[in-house]
Amino acid sequence: MLPLSSIAASAVAGGLRASTVQVSSGQRGAGSGIIWRSDGVVVTNAHVVRGRGAQVTLDDGRSFDAVTALRDERCDLAVLLPELAGSDVDGLALRVPQIRDPRTLRVGEIVLALGAPWGIPGCLALGVVHAAHEPVRRGGREAEAEIVRADVRLAPGNSGGPLADAAGRIVGVNAMIVGGLGVAISTRTVARLLRDLDARRSPRAA
Amino acid sequence: MPSASEATALEALSNDFAAAVERAGQATVAIHARRRIPASGIIWRDGVIVAANHTVHIDDDITVSLADGSSVTATLAGRDPTTDLAVLRGATGRAPIGRAPADALRVGAIVLAVGRPGASVTASMGVISAVGGEWRTWQGGRIDRFVRLDLSVYDGFSGGPLVDGAGRALGVNTSGLSRASAIAIPGATVDRVVDELLARGRVARGYVGLGMQAVQIPEEAARRFGSGDVGLMVVSVEPSGPADAAGILLGDVVLTFDGEPVGDPTELLALLGPERIGKAVPAKLLRAGEVRTIAITVGERPESVPQGRGRRRR
Repeated sequence: MLPLSSIAASAVAGGLRASTVQVSSGQRGAGSGIIWRSDGVVVTNAHVVRGRGAQVTLDDGRSFDAVTALRDERCDLAVLLPELAGSDVDGLALRVPQIRDPRTLRVGEIVLALGAPWGIPGCLALGVVHAAHEPVRRGGREAEAEIVRADVRLAPGNSGGPLADAAGRIVGVNAMIVGGLGVAISTRTVARLLRDLDARRSPRAA
Repeated sequence: MPSASEATALEALSNDFAAAVERAGQATVAIHARRRIPASGIIWRDGVIVAANHTVHIDDDITVSLADGSSVTATLAGRDPTTDLAVLRGATGRAPIGRAPADALRVGAIVLAVGRPGASVTASMGVISAVGGEWRTWQGGRIDRFVRLDLSVYDGFSGGPLVDGAGRALGVNTSGLSRASAIAIPGATVDRVVDELLARGRVARGYVGLGMQAVQIPEEAARRFGSGDVGLMVVSVEPSGPADAAGILLGDVVLTFDGEPVGDPTELLALLGPERIGKAVPAKLLRAGEVRTIAITVGERPESVPQGRGRRRR
């Protein structure tokens, strides 16, 4: 074991904070979101954006309007695209986080949650993986979403924000609290949704 | 400024935690002995599994799921509702859990609660928030150290191990002894109860055969008798029980038992450990305006319905 005094989460949290945004869609306060790609794709929860668009505020205070490109209530995920020209998106110099497949997570690994619990942006919570990777089925059908359950203290406002490993790699999108446990939607489910969205947006892609 | 080595250290700690859960998880089993989701248990010695008594509702043909997904059948060796421990015998063929030294129970120590409320191992992390001396549970069980935890004990975690950063067991987690906070039963207490249950199938408890009620003793009388301001009035005497044989009467007010003041029935209960069984213990009492001392030979409590059954706790 290492001396505890040499261990802090501030470096990892700092990197993660740069990729975490606040998402407000007019009603009932704000949620969180994750900058997923350098083209400005922001991933959040479906229950955070109920309308056609939302305002996205970066960690440094800059903000832009975004349109809801996809909303999947069964997976509780939404994808936002900036209402900006490509060059303006480039000008934002967005910080894209690394993504990790949560199937490689081990129970007990340290996880970090960033978001805006009770509307306070940039808040860090630390915990451990409780159950690494579970499919969620309804009525015995094919799995709709995969989840990661974490022993980490979340609050309203964490919704849509990142759950990341000790290296700052995103493993899930924090979505709800069940039985005291944080439940995050797996990055695999996000990737599947983004593939579907890209296929729809460029008809030539098979 | 945060550095790269700091980030690497966090990853190293994360890997240590995962390895600790993996290691402890090998000896953490699922106990299928109630209708709800299974609870956790620990391979404590070869062929000996420890579980939380309140989660074990049956005595025979208990299915125990092991880390590799296989399962074995276990049989109850004994239960002690007063410490919320049950001991099962089952040929798991697995190594018992590694144990941490007793001095590892320190306030501020980072700990993991490991459980297996089903097929997979699950974990939560926190710190030991208080360590105290010996205490008595609400049913009179003796626990060697008071260990309070600042961590979440989830459904099905009772009976699972509390482990240190190396995956070594410090004790057994249970929600059955306190509603206020997470509590762990230290390894030393588990060893003692396991020894007794394996040898005798039960933990012997003393009894005197009295129903009692706390009563206020008037200030003037308390001064005259040199007693405290509360005593225990006898409201029922079990016929032919130890107290009846000693001549205790309805209406007597017990002031001290073996020299210890008793102002609450649980205080007397706490004095009825196995060490006093068969001993003539002096009870100072108030009868008809006089203080007198009567010796009661403490009996052993007869077998009764296990008190852990049917309770709806995790």
